[in-house]
Amino acid sequence: MGVLAFATAAGSAAAGQWRDGAELYQKVCGHCHEANVGPVLKGRGLPPEYIQRVVRMGNRAMPAFRPTEIDDATLADVARRISSGAALARE
Amino acid sequence: MGSKSKALPKGISAAEFDKAVREMRAIVGDEHVLVDEEKLAPYRKIMMPVPDAQHELSASVMPDGVEQIQRIMKVANKYRVPVYPISTGKNLGYGSAAPVQRGQIVMDLRRMNRILEVDPELCTALVEPGVTYQQLYDYLQEHKLPLWFSCPAPSAIAGPVGNMVDRGVGYTPYGEHFMFSCGMEVVLADGQVLRTGMGAMENSNTWQVFKWGYGPTLDGIFTQSNFGVVTKMGMWLMPAPPDFRPFCIQYPNETDITKIVEALRPLRIAMVIPNAVVIAHTLWEAPCTPVKRADYYTGPGAIPDEAVKKIQAEHNIGAWNVYAGLYGTKETNDANWKIIEAVAAGTGGKIITQEASKGSKALEYRFDLMKGKPNLGEFGLYNWRGGGGSIWFAPVSQAKGSETLKQMQMAKTILAKYGFDYVGEFIVGWRDMHHVIDLLYDRSKPEEMEKAYACYDELLHTFAKEGYGMYRANTAFAEKVAATYGPVKRDVEKRLKKALDPNNIIAPGRCGISL
Repeated sequence: MGVLAFATAAGSAAAGQWRDGAELYQKVCGHCHEANVGPVLKGRGLPPEYIQRVVRMGNRAMPAFRPTEIDDATLADVARRISSGAALARE
Repeated sequence: MGSKSKALPKGISAAEFDKAVREMRAIVGDEHVLVDEEKLAPYRKIMMPVPDAQHELSASVMPDGVEQIQRIMKVANKYRVPVYPISTGKNLGYGSAAPVQRGQIVMDLRRMNRILEVDPELCTALVEPGVTYQQLYDYLQEHKLPLWFSCPAPSAIAGPVGNMVDRGVGYTPYGEHFMFSCGMEVVLADGQVLRTGMGAMENSNTWQVFKWGYGPTLDGIFTQSNFGVVTKMGMWLMPAPPDFRPFCIQYPNETDITKIVEALRPLRIAMVIPNAVVIAHTLWEAPCTPVKRADYYTGPGAIPDEAVKKIQAEHNIGAWNVYAGLYGTKETNDANWKIIEAVAAGTGGKIITQEASKGSKALEYRFDLMKGKPNLGEFGLYNWRGGGGSIWFAPVSQAKGSETLKQMQMAKTILAKYGFDYVGEFIVGWRDMHHVIDLLYDRSKPEEMEKAYACYDELLHTFAKEGYGMYRANTAFAEKVAATYGPVKRDVEKRLKKALDPNNIIAPGRCGISL
């Protein structure tokens, strides 16, 4: 019938279902922080707690992100990766 | 247990509010209702020039399905608590995820993020409110479907349902987004589920291909309104053209806007240029290039014209920068390209092709947006003044040169009076232009916030006096903007509200509609 119907799976990354912090970084954070829009975050040893707080509270022009967009576990993972300089895959 | 919420809905006691929250918890699960002030922080982040307290929410409820929303409607009616539905909540500068009135419970639909159907033959999709453009883009890529959509600038984190429902715009041939939507599912205040158009019929398979159905077409009343909660929406996708040729034409003078519009309008109406053309001012392009304002001006007030001229010269930016594209086959694009070259030559414009665009972030993100590739390049705007303050002033103009020049000069004069820069662009519909101005200010300074509020207020009323109305507005000015459209329209809206939502529980105050 030529129709792709995925009534439940939501195919590609659904919120709360990010594969890991690296994917989140690539799909969301990197659009600004790897593009001369927001400040560079990697390699600065920013504390993970600080990163998580800014993501939830926002900071000046940085938008705030809700738990429906970024779940706590993925947020903790991306904060750890940014802080420690762990792998943050980019296309 | 006493209520933890510090911003109760108007006229609701803490005890009643707690009962309503308890019943909502039973519907969606404890973890999907938030009342703690700290947890609600992301909903509170706004860019508008009013105190956070004015748009403080009492709670957030996060349903994952139509049936849960139906049940939430029942609870809201029972306790008369207002709920404010959001989709992705990334309508930054128009209100973000915060409710229109203090104390409302935000109903966050972001968890409902299923791409329900994509038909590659008919080029249609059916999606839920929590789907982002990035998600849809990735889906089409993963499934190797050569289909494009049109998206707004904050596309990586915003989504089609919220944008179409707010009548947002994008940059491809499908840039007037609501026009390219087809079929809605709406949960009404009484819990009934309405499917518009052909979707009202059992077993219909034409919901996403024919908009009108039989009798009145209802979709429009669920946009920029509060008559229901949109839970699904159909959208048309565009087949990726065999040849896509984006370009920019730069013009040296501000007054050139007159001849630009006169030259482009016929091409747009005849669809030689099929996409929603953008005519962007220097000060829109500069922050996205990126250029730092402080490198050119550090004094008080609006940036002087001489500094703007210097930016143009040093960064190869026009006073106006026209973005458009040709979408077709190589043969048709070759033929139309000759027309574009002739128009540019005849009007004193300099063409920049994709090949010549390398190195400019502004050109890169614009060219990507014209093929519906999500990015956040435009957020460079927020670095221009800094401080996280932004509201969009967005009047509609005729697509006539004299009108656009008049609007630009009016806006620039009023902005300068309050010390703000003219950061504007015109997005070309067929016969109209959305004149979009980002009123950028430093929200960390109370005096700038007051000035920004007063400036928008003066812009709104000065433009209204000339007969110019907004196409869209931030939630802080919803009431004032609605008032510019006169009493009869508002009375009809109120009567509809009374009929569809007699207890006034869905987003009262949204677009000025309330009982």
